[in-house]
Amino acid sequence: MSDLASHTPADPALVADLAAGIAEARAIYELLFPTQQLFFVLSQGNNPIWANPEVIEGPHNPRPQDLGADYLGTLTRPGAYDGAPQVTIRLAIPRAPLPGEVKQTDAPWKPMRGLGALFRASPLWYEQLRYGAEMARKRQADRRTDQSAMPLGDGSALFPAPMAPDSDKRPAILIGMHWLEMGGAEKLGFDTVHWALAAGLRVFVVASVPAIQRLADKLPDHPDLTFIRLDRYLPHHLWPRYVQRLAMAENIRAVHIHHCTPLYESLTMLCMHLPWVQTIDSTHIVEYANGGYPRISGVWSNYLDMQHVISGELVRYFRDRFHAPAGKVVLGRMLDRKDAGALPPLRLQAGQKTLHACFIGRLFYQKRPVVVVETLRALDAWAARNGVTLTATIVGEGPYDGTLTRLLRKHGLSSKVTLLPGNTDIPALLERSDILLLPSNNEGLALVCYEAVAHGCIPISTRVGSQDEVLPDGLLVPLAPRAAVAGTVAAVDAMWRDAGTLARHKDALQAAWTRLTADPTAEEVLMPVYRRLSQGDTA
Amino acid sequence: MSVLNKTAAVIVTFNRSGKLMAVLDALAAQTMRPDIVLVVDNASTDDTAALVQARAEADPTIRHLRLPTNIGGAGGFHAGMKAAYQMGAQYFWVSDDDAYPRPDAIQALHAALTGFQADNGWRPSFACSRVEWIDGSLCEMNCPRTVWDWARFVRPGSPWALVDSASFVSVMIPRWAVSEHGLPIPDYFIWFDDAEYTRRIARSYPGIFVPESVVVHDTPDNRGVNFGLVDDKSLWKFKYGARNETSWRRREMGLMGVLAYAYGVRGQMRRGDVPSSLRRQIYGAIIKGLGFRPAIERV
Repeated sequence: MSDLASHTPADPALVADLAAGIAEARAIYELLFPTQQLFFVLSQGNNPIWANPEVIEGPHNPRPQDLGADYLGTLTRPGAYDGAPQVTIRLAIPRAPLPGEVKQTDAPWKPMRGLGALFRASPLWYEQLRYGAEMARKRQADRRTDQSAMPLGDGSALFPAPMAPDSDKRPAILIGMHWLEMGGAEKLGFDTVHWALAAGLRVFVVASVPAIQRLADKLPDHPDLTFIRLDRYLPHHLWPRYVQRLAMAENIRAVHIHHCTPLYESLTMLCMHLPWVQTIDSTHIVEYANGGYPRISGVWSNYLDMQHVISGELVRYFRDRFHAPAGKVVLGRMLDRKDAGALPPLRLQAGQKTLHACFIGRLFYQKRPVVVVETLRALDAWAARNGVTLTATIVGEGPYDGTLTRLLRKHGLSSKVTLLPGNTDIPALLERSDILLLPSNNEGLALVCYEAVAHGCIPISTRVGSQDEVLPDGLLVPLAPRAAVAGTVAAVDAMWRDAGTLARHKDALQAAWTRLTADPTAEEVLMPVYRRLSQGDTA
Repeated sequence: MSVLNKTAAVIVTFNRSGKLMAVLDALAAQTMRPDIVLVVDNASTDDTAALVQARAEADPTIRHLRLPTNIGGAGGFHAGMKAAYQMGAQYFWVSDDDAYPRPDAIQALHAALTGFQADNGWRPSFACSRVEWIDGSLCEMNCPRTVWDWARFVRPGSPWALVDSASFVSVMIPRWAVSEHGLPIPDYFIWFDDAEYTRRIARSYPGIFVPESVVVHDTPDNRGVNFGLVDDKSLWKFKYGARNETSWRRREMGLMGVLAYAYGVRGQMRRGDVPSSLRRQIYGAIIKGLGFRPAIERV
């Protein structure tokens, strides 16, 4: 008789992927539990991003759920001595992501239940309703959420403070990211990886949110860089213990947090056991719902040695709400000094017969893609009235992909608006665009505004975050969706009709650019710290 | 695609012990034998139980799942897939008791499911065989439905067209599809349970038609499913079919979908000169289907 199906050899490529995943997970747990007897219970996962880890310390009697249909087998790492405590680790090794998941993990966006008819009838009124609800939530959140810094005791001189052990390894830094996907915070995270390597530090990168981590292959191919997949294999409650082990094993001298929640939760451990480790975070945007990462940073501010921010709004936020001491909150703009010279001429001219608008951003609610389409629709009507030929480009990917395509078709804009993927050549696009639309519901200080201005394109943005630091009043429109659409058309109309208005805006942009470029850049405030750490200093 | 390949064959039978034994012979001769051959016996009153039990004593892969009452093909496939899922199968090969797979039919389905994902990245929700009638012609009632871009990945050596609907005659379903979409609807009793189920799991990604996997469907005649063929003898089945498809269309497409379906059925019956007394009963089944909302059971 022939063999049973279960005896069929597995695909070698699949076996190699599985072995690589198991090796990654083993390395994490073997560092975390250096002396214990480790007992890995492995199963085949049906999730591309998360191993659903479960860690049981102490004796464990196997349960039926340890041996389900997807059970692969067990691995044992002997303890360092007889009678070493046992730790059981259950892992469902993630499968390879499917092509659709690589492109987009989030499900396509749909209107909220019960509001589909409203969205179909008037997308803008739907957005207006959502905006109203969000502002109501913001008012409540301001009252509810904790807005004070946790106290940190300095300890008594009666007790010796822990001292950094000698290490034969070069100093290292642990850089914690939210995830390795597209975003402004992630851009800064990647920059800090490059700067830390340039300063001579060994770099360990972790991410807190399980994801495909599409940008992982953009990390520098450098022998001093290690990306550890804690996001896949380690529950958040074990991160502080892992960070402690890693810091001791790898001579980690600093932790830099970029929107990485479990690293904030590791700060207590760091302050108590490893006080020589410098703690730095970078924050970008105050979220409406609960303040987001700046609020978390504010609450932990006594535990942080340096709070790097990208805008003046955040400097004021930490000073006014959390009473951060002068010098701890450091402004470092997300600007590249080599691009910080004089602005090129801004392209838009009064009375011109063509207008190219662009939108660049992830197609998530925060960027309000529906408002972008409604703005383009209103601009198209304005253009038709004034004999102007409107064209537009939308760059980005996300759950709003399908909605955007349908709305453009519905409004008859498909032939005028080009949709491009996220890897488009942005500088080239900005160099042929007259205006950049940015009707976001929230921003810190949108990087794309810097880029637009640096390439001669005029941004028109909602008045959120620190956008007023880069744009004059005439280019800032109200946040409410209907007013944002009307305000954008009015701003374009004013510049198109009146050369004086246009000239004033250009002058104001130039002045704002000069002000911004006078501030230190993120690289200028972080590199000295990295260099000191690299030389073995802790100050 | 899985490193685990445990496969269960789910065969639903009712009072056709002779044909069932031929199916079990064909399964024993497979180049890749199922780990479990689950015979779902819809309370047969012939010698099915005795014959299956005798076989099971000699072949430990055979399991006899005898249902207390006849709950139809739909109920049988539901019960069989549920049991096979609980037995830990990674792949479910689902078929009738009168369909004889060629020796490499199951291996070809498995190779196509894994090969398609290895080549193209996408994960088909099922793989179905070419179903031939006893004279070697295509079996009319088991022709899968292609999607609009069916030819997207068809290449020499891997001629697998994308399909979104197939019958429960030699179709292989991976475990993930059952985990994500649940089980076939038992309340359909008979007809359209397979179409509803494969269309449901194909929402994740279409299935594939695997022509190199061949089964022979030993039906009395080779007729398709067309309401122009309704007669007194087959009326009961058509009524189930009309009710079940109406229910599905109501769920997936709303009232306009049902109206379009009713219009199509009317046309078929007119062209087939179906007597008005039978037509009325079919329309009655369509109306019944409007209020028929069977639950989908998740695993």
